[in-house]
Amino acid sequence: MSRIGVFICHCGENISRTVDVARVAAEVGKLPGVAFSTDYKYMCSDPGQTLLKKTIQDQKLSHVVVAACSPRMHERTFRKAVEAAGLNPFLCEMANIREHCSWVHENIEEATVKATEIVGMMVERVKKNRVLPTITVPVTKRSLVIGGGIAGIQAALDIADGGHEVILVEREPSIGGHMAQLSETFPTLDCSQCIMTPKMVDVANHPKITLYTYSEIELVEGYIGNFQITIRKKARSVDEDKCTGCGVCMTKCPIKKIPNKFDCNLGMRPAIYVPFPQAVPNTPVIDRDNCTKFKTGKCGLCQKVCGPGAVDYEQEDTLIVEPVGAIVVATGFDLYTIAEKPKGSPIKGYGEFGHGKIPDVIDGMTFERLASASGPTGGKILRPSDGKEPKQIVFIQCIGSRAREKGISYCSKVCCMYTAKHTMLYHHKVHDGQAYVFFMDARTPGKSYDEFWRRSIEEEEAVYIRGMVSRLYQKGKKIVVMGSDIAVGVQVEIEADMVVLATAIQPQAGADTLAQKLGISYDKYNFYSEAHAKLRPVECATAGIYLAGACQGPKDIPDTVSQASAAAAKVMALFSKDKLEREPIVARVKESACVGCFACKKVCAYGAIEEKEIRDRQGNLVKVVAYVNPGVCSGCGTCQATCPSKCVELDGYTDEQIVAMIEAL
Amino acid sequence: MTQPIDESIYTAVTVAIQAEAQRILSEGLVTAVVGYASARRKGSTQPIVITDAALAEKLIFTPACVNNLAVYLTKAKKEIPKTGRIGIVVKGCDLKALVGLMGESQLKREDLYLIGVPCIGVLGSIIQPDTAFTSDSIAPKCRECDAHLPLGCDFVPSQQPITPELEKKYAAEIDRLEAMTPAERWAYWKEQFSKCIKCYACRQVCPFCFCEQCLCDRNKPQMVETTPRPAGNFAWHIVRAMHLTGRCAGCAECERACPMDIPLNLLNRKMAKELKDLYEYEAGFEVNAKGPLTMFTEKDDQSFIK
Repeated sequence: MSRIGVFICHCGENISRTVDVARVAAEVGKLPGVAFSTDYKYMCSDPGQTLLKKTIQDQKLSHVVVAACSPRMHERTFRKAVEAAGLNPFLCEMANIREHCSWVHENIEEATVKATEIVGMMVERVKKNRVLPTITVPVTKRSLVIGGGIAGIQAALDIADGGHEVILVEREPSIGGHMAQLSETFPTLDCSQCIMTPKMVDVANHPKITLYTYSEIELVEGYIGNFQITIRKKARSVDEDKCTGCGVCMTKCPIKKIPNKFDCNLGMRPAIYVPFPQAVPNTPVIDRDNCTKFKTGKCGLCQKVCGPGAVDYEQEDTLIVEPVGAIVVATGFDLYTIAEKPKGSPIKGYGEFGHGKIPDVIDGMTFERLASASGPTGGKILRPSDGKEPKQIVFIQCIGSRAREKGISYCSKVCCMYTAKHTMLYHHKVHDGQAYVFFMDARTPGKSYDEFWRRSIEEEEAVYIRGMVSRLYQKGKKIVVMGSDIAVGVQVEIEADMVVLATAIQPQAGADTLAQKLGISYDKYNFYSEAHAKLRPVECATAGIYLAGACQGPKDIPDTVSQASAAAAKVMALFSKDKLEREPIVARVKESACVGCFACKKVCAYGAIEEKEIRDRQGNLVKVVAYVNPGVCSGCGTCQATCPSKCVELDGYTDEQIVAMIEAL
Repeated sequence: MTQPIDESIYTAVTVAIQAEAQRILSEGLVTAVVGYASARRKGSTQPIVITDAALAEKLIFTPACVNNLAVYLTKAKKEIPKTGRIGIVVKGCDLKALVGLMGESQLKREDLYLIGVPCIGVLGSIIQPDTAFTSDSIAPKCRECDAHLPLGCDFVPSQQPITPELEKKYAAEIDRLEAMTPAERWAYWKEQFSKCIKCYACRQVCPFCFCEQCLCDRNKPQMVETTPRPAGNFAWHIVRAMHLTGRCAGCAECERACPMDIPLNLLNRKMAKELKDLYEYEAGFEVNAKGPLTMFTEKDDQSFIK
């Protein structure tokens, strides 16, 4: 006979506010097999856990049900406590009477009845729990970092400095990401390239880092500690081993007028190119869509002039398989393209601001390129339309961000600071110019941030106007900006030479596709979701996958670097053990009933199902059945649902347990 | 109007398969041949397993050869001992079942010697002795058959089946059911399933019901009520239809075997139509590593996620 102990948690007032916990404890105490039931203010607290452990020993309990929050929150906590008291941890189950009951109901009477039923179901289930031994699996002590911006670079360097191999994969021909495009950085105004490029070189030279640029993640298989990553290395058309980076090919290429994405299409580049002079690796790539050789078969000049013979038109994409134990996702952000409404997206564009139509209406990143010493204008602030210096410049904040009616309700976090920075850069370069900023609020929390913003107004003469712009239009060579100053309550009209829009930060295009490959969750904007907003901010809910940087949400450089280092620390904590303990919630095949149709094998997303031969004593093959490799199985239960003869069972979720739960209702 | 169907090719096919069975058995290519032989009642046939070349002359092929012999090669039914390569007489519809069984790791192509038979069609029922083969007595499945000539067999007699154009009964019936309101359709199936006596003839005759332990026979916990009551009947027929979706190629043996005349193949055909509409998939044409219900592609219909 079972001696089940039931512990009902008040969760402060979270549960006891709507559920009469004492009554639930009394009611479930009457159920057959329940030897003890009680309620307590905070079961997860130290005294709560001590109560649990002491009761297990005093009452000689055989099984435990803790009725509290979601098992996602505290199942591990209570299983550990149960284990400390000498019981197998898998003889403990949680009944969720918080998320599933108290939080979603108001009527105390009804909520109490429901809570009693939820606990009753778990009592029936736990009776059929088996003792499960913990599974240990080996850990491959190599890490994959996806994305070579500052987040990926920092994470890769930290992990590599910790002594573990890192595979760094970057989609573009060079690492560096958006930070490499920036001119100077707030709040200290140090040059972005000056602090960034040494780190890029460190990545290239680090003996523990393998760098794959111009490459994408094709396939992710496996699980924490044992991932298999297939990387598609796109055809660069230049042999990286032979190329010396001399650059002759780029100077000789007859196609020279291709807008350079790195310079926000302000500068031009040849068809064979490196995105920027400090690129890592300094190996060019042929843009096959624009190359005459690939379009017409003629030309081939770059191959002729290449001394080491590195240009290879026949090169094809290659697939590389890398085993890794952990993954850091650092795919970064992109700017909201405001000109038009993206297809199929709930996000509406800002056609009224003329971005894309009026050449001197630019976004913040384009301004960075104009202000950058290595940019297309050599650091001079010049209008894209006629190359003249703008004497009146208007910055408009919150374009896209914080505009629910336009589809994005979040704050992009960095725009207040970078706009303040832009006004300073402008003031330093155009001494007789005037900068105006339209803003909703100035959000400047952060070390030395508010001081920086104040400086732009008090010392750098930027005029801040609280209010939004309603309309922009071209009038001769000027852009008329019409807006309101809500502090004074007047309409404002400024004839500007240039307008800079602080457009919203969005995840990279294709962030959702990558998330599906990785099996991680993402929100409605495609930002990746962390396991817990406060307590597990760098981990994904999928074990072994960590987040760094703006792919999780808008972030500035200090936050991004901190998160990248935090993710690296998590990876190194994982790698500090040789074996990983895994929950033994895995599927088992009842071999006597299995007919070997392998429907389970077809649906298993983890490749956990193998074919096993059953032989008689003479060694004759009797049949071939399915076998679940417990080290690989992650307990998703798809095989259990698929098996036509129901001969696959998931431990902890057997048909018998589920039916017992239903019958308890 | 009832029209007679010319059945002259069946005689020629019979001669050809007898000679082939005799040859492969005497040459030791196969250890046994599964085929049809005359049964006691006039004009009817029964399945036969021949291991002796001298008995090959017993094999026949007539419009009364209704059985899907693929069922004898499955594990659950275990009629044919696994002694080596087996020869089997297959109509186009039966071949689809064999193809499905190969895709589900139940059979290997190299273990089979396929004697394909060109076929105009078979009788809907052989309960009445010596039924004439006409546009009325032909089985409904043969009216919409797309495999009169089996493909990819080891041997096929040279006769060409000439098939008369006939009205498609399943297609018409599906159209009729689809035009109903959900409540009317529910009532229709409720009435049909209420006839079920849980004899499981449909299961026993189905080549795809090859599980050695059917989940419907499980009692701990019981998955499907065993007594022929409405709820349990519904559960059984829904389980059966769902398990056959994407696998059943329409041999219609379930419908023929059903003593209560439940239109089981109609349900199977409806499910097959759903799969064709949703995934452009038709069962039984090639040995597939994965069917549409065991894989995910980005093209899959996701409109049900709201």
